[in-house]
Amino acid sequence: MSATIYRHEFLARINSVLVWSVSAAAFLILVFSIYPGFADEAAMINEIWAKFPPELLAAFGMNKLNMTTVLGFYGFMLIFIQLFLAIQAGNYGFGLVSIEENELTADFLLTKPVSRSQVLLSKLLAALTSMFLTTLVVWAGTLVCMALYAGGREYDSSTLLLMMLSLPIFQIFFLGVGLVVSLLVKRVRSVTPYSLGLAFGSYVLAAFSGMLGDVKLELITPFKHFDPAYIVEHGALNTPLVLLNLAVTLVALAACYILYIRRDIPAVS
Amino acid sequence: MNIFLRELKANLKSLIIWSVIIFLLITIGTAKFSAFAGDPESLKLLDAVPEAMVEALNLRAFNLTTVIGFYGIMFIYFGLMGAIAAAMWGTDIISKEERDRTVEFSLVLPVSRSRVITAKALAALVNCAAFVLVTWVFSIIAVQTYTPDSSFYSFLALEMQAMFFIELIFLALGLLLGCAMQQYKLSGSAAVGIILVTYVMSVISGMQKNLDFLKYFTPFKYFDAGALFRDGAIDGAYLLLSAVIVVVCVAAAYWIYNKRDLYI
Repeated sequence: MSATIYRHEFLARINSVLVWSVSAAAFLILVFSIYPGFADEAAMINEIWAKFPPELLAAFGMNKLNMTTVLGFYGFMLIFIQLFLAIQAGNYGFGLVSIEENELTADFLLTKPVSRSQVLLSKLLAALTSMFLTTLVVWAGTLVCMALYAGGREYDSSTLLLMMLSLPIFQIFFLGVGLVVSLLVKRVRSVTPYSLGLAFGSYVLAAFSGMLGDVKLELITPFKHFDPAYIVEHGALNTPLVLLNLAVTLVALAACYILYIRRDIPAVS
Repeated sequence: MNIFLRELKANLKSLIIWSVIIFLLITIGTAKFSAFAGDPESLKLLDAVPEAMVEALNLRAFNLTTVIGFYGIMFIYFGLMGAIAAAMWGTDIISKEERDRTVEFSLVLPVSRSRVITAKALAALVNCAAFVLVTWVFSIIAVQTYTPDSSFYSFLALEMQAMFFIELIFLALGLLLGCAMQQYKLSGSAAVGIILVTYVMSVISGMQKNLDFLKYFTPFKYFDAGALFRDGAIDGAYLLLSAVIVVVCVAAAYWIYNKRDLYI
């Protein structure tokens, strides 16, 4: 690994990490502040919600989670946190190597006495560090929420831990898939449409399969691989789906390596 | 005119990709809907609820056993798709010139900056309109097997108008961001941020009474499928609010872009 590339990549992303992590944690804490009111009126709210059309609730993932419990509410919030982190990870993945070609710095970088595998490894590690920093802040936000708003209500801390720990695996999936897609296409002009498409696409698919009770769609979308409703209900991860997710990530990363080593990089004329 | 045509051509690929996405969404949706259509079990549930309650809670608008109910749900996704597409088109059409280092070229052409924005905005607008029309046509084709009556078609027409208004709001926001942000990379990120925040607000605003005020801040709530179904029309107050947002954003975009320093 090249420390110089790692440091440069990490510093280039530090502002973005700051904005993403602070807004994700702030969003978590802000919305969680309505939870005590929710829990106090548990009976009434459950009664009202029972009258909502179930399809509408399912479209937002509200049907399987009992939102008057701490974990149920956190699980509901986690879907949005996942959406946040998916977009961020997608951004980093799609932009990781394509940015050099867009900004015409690829030939500068690749003529340095560092092998391509070293370049890719350093860049990947820097992106992973950036993502993990965001996760750390989200974790801290979670603990703040629990300390401030759980108000002594009972919850299973191992389930909470499981939900928190599922986040990094979820993020790496989007990083890997984003990276491999960016290497498969000829040129990534702009990163945002790609990452938005990937993140919102899989989010909508997950919401869809929740609404229509479908099983097959579950296999494609990572939002179902790490479905908070499932984790809360069973107190465990959905092992086959998580393994599938990990396998896809590993294949994607391996493919990235091969593709990047052999990639034809357009030179600046 | 040349800029307008050039932009239309450049955005055609993106429009086609979005059309394919919406086509897939509608196809998957209708395929799954077939399992629910006319399911007597779910219909019985509805009969048990008092009529007044059905009206108050929009149960009919989201009743998955009817085509109308199915489209009430689908509208959430149509709105989201339209918003993302429009915001991306809006920011990209302005900021790509700086990204691709063509901004000096396009601005030394013998046209004023205002003319450039007008041509680009119109091209994006045509794209948005085309996207709504594509959604509309796909929808009509997809539901033919369920022989919908005329009330469905008028509801669909209303939904498509609402989708177009959501697109207009986000297109105007996107244009403003593209014009106002000094760095082209930031405009896309800012658009993403706004979409995320407004979408999340639309979901949580219904959760509790004292969060109800949030509905004025999120365009997704201006056009609610339940309200559309109940009133049979788009709420005039929200329509006015949307118009104000669009006009302010577009005016600000022109004003800022005319005096801004370019990122080269």
